[in-house]
Amino acid sequence: MFYLSKIEHTLRLPPHLLNLPINQAIKGELEGLFLDKVIADLGLCISIYDIHSIDGGFITPGDGASTYTVMFRMIMFRPFVGEVIAAKLKESDREGLKLSLGFFDDIHVPEHLLPMPKQFEPESGNSNQGRWIWEFNGDNYPIDAVDEIRFRVHHVTYPSLPVEQEKASKPFAPMIVIGSLDADGLGPISWWV
Amino acid sequence: MKIVKANDGVLTNFEVLNFLRSRGAGKDLTRVIAPIAPSEFKVYDYLEQTAACSQTRESIISFVGKSKQYKLAEAEILNLINIRPSSVVEIDPIVEECDKRMGEGVEELVEMVLQVLPTPPSQMQSDDQVEFNKDDVREGQEVEAS
Repeated sequence: MFYLSKIEHTLRLPPHLLNLPINQAIKGELEGLFLDKVIADLGLCISIYDIHSIDGGFITPGDGASTYTVMFRMIMFRPFVGEVIAAKLKESDREGLKLSLGFFDDIHVPEHLLPMPKQFEPESGNSNQGRWIWEFNGDNYPIDAVDEIRFRVHHVTYPSLPVEQEKASKPFAPMIVIGSLDADGLGPISWWV
Repeated sequence: MKIVKANDGVLTNFEVLNFLRSRGAGKDLTRVIAPIAPSEFKVYDYLEQTAACSQTRESIISFVGKSKQYKLAEAEILNLINIRPSSVVEIDPIVEECDKRMGEGVEELVEMVLQVLPTPPSQMQSDDQVEFNKDDVREGQEVEAS
């Protein structure tokens, strides 16, 4: 789930931070810049792990801030294909399930990757929302938001930034994990324990 | 920004949790004093609920050593450490072609997992609750008898 990535970045340190020890100031700047943001093909940045080297410190003419070239390692969240992860149910509608990990919300399980044979039971009043039910050996197993759901990662996509966005549409998701529940041992833990 | 090395090493859930704990995540109840960002606290909350919260470095090292005899891929060993399956059916999505490769060895693998990796608190809680109910029943009967 978590990888280390080594990154080199040229950083501008604003003058009001010059009284802090340099490691602390640079770490604070890097955290503000990278934390909780997605880098394409690398994943979601979780934490700065360590700083390898800090070079530079030159002040370019006309500017009060000093520029540093920093080499550091970061913990990235990047699930690999085939990984089994436990998550909580966030939404359940006709197109499939949406799961959430607390720090990462864009996990989709489309309806063709749910265990067969399955049935969709719409909620009263709202025909799009509802819950999915798996039929196995004559018993009905519903997917409820009671306990954790284990899914296997099918693939991860990084859609590119849209040029324009309408106001009413959902906020843009830079990293989407597609999961599947289609194997023994996957789905709500209460089905198997 | 330049990516020098995209994959500099895999981390288990336990290692990330340990890293956050070493910076003071678990000790600060107000969550304002510790030098940890709110997004990192969300990761900490998630990891505390998985099997990683009760693991130790020694248990993971000994698990990796003992799993060499089963010839598992690195991704499968990582999955096993992060999920800590407690039954054969939970191993099935983790190890591909489980029946062909291991056959009877699956049960040994489950035994080894249960022995080497510590029990996560959610599983311990359900055991405690069962014992608690039994005590209640016994006390109730004694009261009635007297």
